Amino acid sequence: MNIQFNQVLPVPLSSMSHVRDSLWNTSSVFNQGQKIMIEAQSGRGKSTLIHLLFGVRKDYHGEITFGRKKLSEFNESDWVDYRQHHVSIVFQDLQLFPFITVLENLKVKNNLTKHFTDDQLIEMLGRLGLLDKLHVLCGQLSMGQQQRVAIIRALCQPFTWMLLDEPFSHLDEINASKCMELINEECEKHSAGWIITSLGLQTTFSYDKLIHI
Amino acid sequence: MLQKIVLRNQSKTQLVIALLGAFLGVLFLLVSVQYFFKVNQFGKGSEMLGPNTLIIQKKVSSSTTLQLASTSFTQHEISVIENKTFIQEIQPILSNNFGVEFATSDPMLPYFRSDVFIQSVDSRFLDIKSSQWRWKEGDEIVPIILPRDFLVMLNTFMSSSGIPQISDELAKDVKFSLLLSNEKTKKQFRAKIIGFTNEVSSILVPESFMCFGKVSFGSKVTEKITQLMLSSKEKEFGLVEKFLDEQHYESKNAQLVTGRLKSVVSMLLLVIVFISLLTLIFSSFVLIQYIQLLISRNVYEIRTLLRLGYAPRKLYFVFLLYFVLLYGGICFLASLVFIILKSRIDEKLHNSGIYIALDYSKMTWATLGISFVLFYVTALVSTKRSVMNEF
Repeated sequence: MNIQFNQVLPVPLSSMSHVRDSLWNTSSVFNQGQKIMIEAQSGRGKSTLIHLLFGVRKDYHGEITFGRKKLSEFNESDWVDYRQHHVSIVFQDLQLFPFITVLENLKVKNNLTKHFTDDQLIEMLGRLGLLDKLHVLCGQLSMGQQQRVAIIRALCQPFTWMLLDEPFSHLDEINASKCMELINEECEKHSAGWIITSLGLQTTFSYDKLIHI
Repeated sequence: MLQKIVLRNQSKTQLVIALLGAFLGVLFLLVSVQYFFKVNQFGKGSEMLGPNTLIIQKKVSSSTTLQLASTSFTQHEISVIENKTFIQEIQPILSNNFGVEFATSDPMLPYFRSDVFIQSVDSRFLDIKSSQWRWKEGDEIVPIILPRDFLVMLNTFMSSSGIPQISDELAKDVKFSLLLSNEKTKKQFRAKIIGFTNEVSSILVPESFMCFGKVSFGSKVTEKITQLMLSSKEKEFGLVEKFLDEQHYESKNAQLVTGRLKSVVSMLLLVIVFISLLTLIFSSFVLIQYIQLLISRNVYEIRTLLRLGYAPRKLYFVFLLYFVLLYGGICFLASLVFIILKSRIDEKLHNSGIYIALDYSKMTWATLGISFVLFYVTALVSTKRSVMNEF
């Protein structure tokens, strides 16, 4: 499903001036399957964009349309369905549960969607170098390791879009590439696209569209 | 897994205090409601005369004994009483002017006989259906109401004969006979006890039976009316008492005393029910506050789960189920303690000679059910609102 922006402007950013090709206060479409890189300096609204798209924030002018339905018209069950089946997310602050193990963190999501088997979860953890952390409390992991857990958790559902808010900020290039490879594989399976925000220009992986905001 | 995540950060002390409060609230309410309704039922069924019924007579003094003043009621005196606003019904009591013999006629019991007095009373003064209090010429069985003292006397006779005593219920199944007689003739009838009274000292029979006795066996001397049965209007016992005092009439006061005592005790119990209700409301309020506290302490977890795609309904049901089970456990525990406590209280009352019905009042269990439903609804509204705030 496509995501359409129509004169969208978050309330906190309404006093700032925006360039002509900015996403804010203009109209643009993200087509399903596209890989979109959002690049901007701090404070220009990268996380705000992710939060608007995920329905965490609703303080904006204009309209965001998902498929044929405006996000502003979503009711409770629409949001539940949207978050379970259509849009997956990796928050900047990861939002993991530090007091349960790595595997339990993944199962919290996977039990809801029944998307992967336990073996598939373990295989993905192995691919991202976390096999030995399976039963370690998430709070005891490094930030880089936690980012990888959050990425695998985001993959534990069907989706048409994956939102990633500075997902590799604590990862080295090798681990970021491994993560990107896994993300792209899953996107391909679902014919899905992703939207990644980044502080600086990423050169380690390719994308279809670059948007400065 | 969900419980592990959202039911963290509990304050055990606060939870225990809230649960203890709820337990005591439920327990107090069960006990007070049980005894409130049982005290109100106290005496019901054991006394055949209606609750507002009195038997009055003129005071017997030295002058009446010396026949300077009459102890009988004139027609005028009866109509004066009848016209009082607080009097509902009035009827002269007829007594036998022929011989009456009461005897056992049951092969299971030893033979016992005694000369007795009988009096008649209309069914409207009795706490029974009028169809039970009926006799017509030709009927073999006469319904009777036995003075409770008479049963005590009968039981004394039974024990001295080495036979087990008989209860009220058993006495109703035993065969008795009434023998009416004069110098010339006699006739025997089967008698069936249909109830007991503490208010009258003679055996009560239906008016039709008394009339039959008077016509068939009575002397021709005109009878004097020495006793009247009257019923007062509800809650106007005070006026009746005052009137009786002014007119120098007297009555057996047991009904008045029981009535007054019941009013005082039930008023006290009503206060206790009210206090218990307040205790339960406040303790449930503390428990609901605790639920909100727990939700606010786990707000990050709830918010994250909602963002992972969990439906709010699924999350608030985790809280609801947990606290409803806890409250259900509290109700169950309080019911167990109540059952034990009730048996102890009943035993104490029984030992003190107070016979309150031992069965459980339906209202007690209804109160328990209502308190559970109210807690469920309040907890549902509270958890739903708190979780939805994070959505």
